[in-house]
Amino acid sequence: MDLITINRREGLAFEIRARHHAVTSDMSPGDGGADAGLAPVELLAGSLGACIAMNVQRYCEMCGHADGDVAVHLTVELADRPKRISAIVVDVELPGGVPKSRHDAVRRIAEQCVIHETLKDPPRLDVDIL
Amino acid sequence: METKQLGGKPIEIDEDGFIQDPGSWDEAVARDLALTESVAEMTDDHWKVVNYLRQYYLQYNMAPMIRKLCKETGFKLKEIYDLFPSGPAKGACKVAGLPKPTGCV
Repeated sequence: MDLITINRREGLAFEIRARHHAVTSDMSPGDGGADAGLAPVELLAGSLGACIAMNVQRYCEMCGHADGDVAVHLTVELADRPKRISAIVVDVELPGGVPKSRHDAVRRIAEQCVIHETLKDPPRLDVDIL
Repeated sequence: METKQLGGKPIEIDEDGFIQDPGSWDEAVARDLALTESVAEMTDDHWKVVNYLRQYYLQYNMAPMIRKLCKETGFKLKEIYDLFPSGPAKGACKVAGLPKPTGCV
């Protein structure tokens, strides 16, 4: 995997770079930022949503529903002490033609995406201070 | 702590506009709180969400999980956000007179 680098822009805004792409992350004004980008929590939840959407879109296309778009809506529940995400709630919207009989399979496909599997079985985190 | 006129009476609110005493809540207070959440008019759908949140809070002294709120009211997540643009925690719970949810986004 390519290196991901985070550099400060200004205030609490940081640019996340990987390969030739860049996104900005910031906090909302209420949390001390300038709202120059998605908050880290939103990026994490968005990452799960994008991963699910890609998996499900590919599955729908394999099943002959290539003419419709998958959409995913998410929100998070937060907890204190320590501050953390306590739940991520995900709604997956399927293209109109996908029958109900496929919904269980779609759920399995969604739950098999890399980010879902990663959150279900958290990775070892190894942080060093340089 | 700030005091604000809500529903025609002075009510204590925190820095994010959540009322401090759930007992001071009534429908007139909810309508005024809704205005602070960009909800110009409380429709039946808004009341369905608010009344469920309130009933759950009074029974369990906590807000329900978001998925439970969706299942019990029959609204999809996006529909809840269409009703309350700040979302179920910061928007709907505020209008329902529940305490401020924990954490930041």
